[in-house]
Amino acid sequence: MEEVQNVMAKPSRQDTGTTSGQAAVGRADTRNTGPGRLLIAVYAVFAISATARAGYQILTKFSEAPVAYLLSAFAAAVYVVATVSLAKPGRTWFKVSVAAVLVEMLGVLVVGALSVFDSVSFPHETVWSLFGRGYAFIPLLLPILGLIWLYRRRPAQLRG
Amino acid sequence: MDAYFYIILVVGLLSTIICLTAGILKKAPNDATILSVAAVELSLLVYLVGSIVRLAGGERMAGEAWEFWGYLVTALILPLGAVYWSILERTRWSNFVLAAVGVTALVMAARMNQIWY
Repeated sequence: MEEVQNVMAKPSRQDTGTTSGQAAVGRADTRNTGPGRLLIAVYAVFAISATARAGYQILTKFSEAPVAYLLSAFAAAVYVVATVSLAKPGRTWFKVSVAAVLVEMLGVLVVGALSVFDSVSFPHETVWSLFGRGYAFIPLLLPILGLIWLYRRRPAQLRG
Repeated sequence: MDAYFYIILVVGLLSTIICLTAGILKKAPNDATILSVAAVELSLLVYLVGSIVRLAGGERMAGEAWEFWGYLVTALILPLGAVYWSILERTRWSNFVLAAVGVTALVMAARMNQIWY
């Protein structure tokens, strides 16, 4: 996914946040324009696919691996919260998105490490298994890009 | 992998390349990028009609039917959402959102092929 690299490489300032009714809120409080749009789009795709996958796993073969499939459902919930909170303006939603992205990063690191070092007790696939290898490592990249984006667009009150 | 997959492979990759190029060149979404995503939607619709015809003709898919249709319906909604969004915000970043549609459709078409066969 080359376009993800572009978010990091070209944090161009002039061409962001030009349209939409959120302009009045002030640029620092909006995270849903410019590169943030791309981030939300990718998060939305993950929220949809993780929810569908977890729902399918839980409905059809929950008894095989309850822990792994509950983890799948948890990951799906985190992606949904991250998508919604990134799209909403305001300070409260900013805090929610920071929390969601941090939980996501913790999840992908812990589950990724456990699935590598303790593959016996983590034999079933989740989005975060093997650091998201089944999804081109995008689950590992997303929280990093998310935190960079949130830092760049942190509300004025939090700026040092 | 059948013809439907290869159609979406070609159209999806072309659309992604067009939209990425436009985004890198700092262009706002224009006719070329939006029409390329419309072409992705069209090829998905061909897949939809083709699948209905095949099922009506007595063919059976190997995997779960509702999983297949779930993928197809979601894939059909993605281009619409991306185009709607690119109309709301006319900056280069919307081109990257549009670019994501092609590859996503490609991955979903690959999965749909696995379910069918």
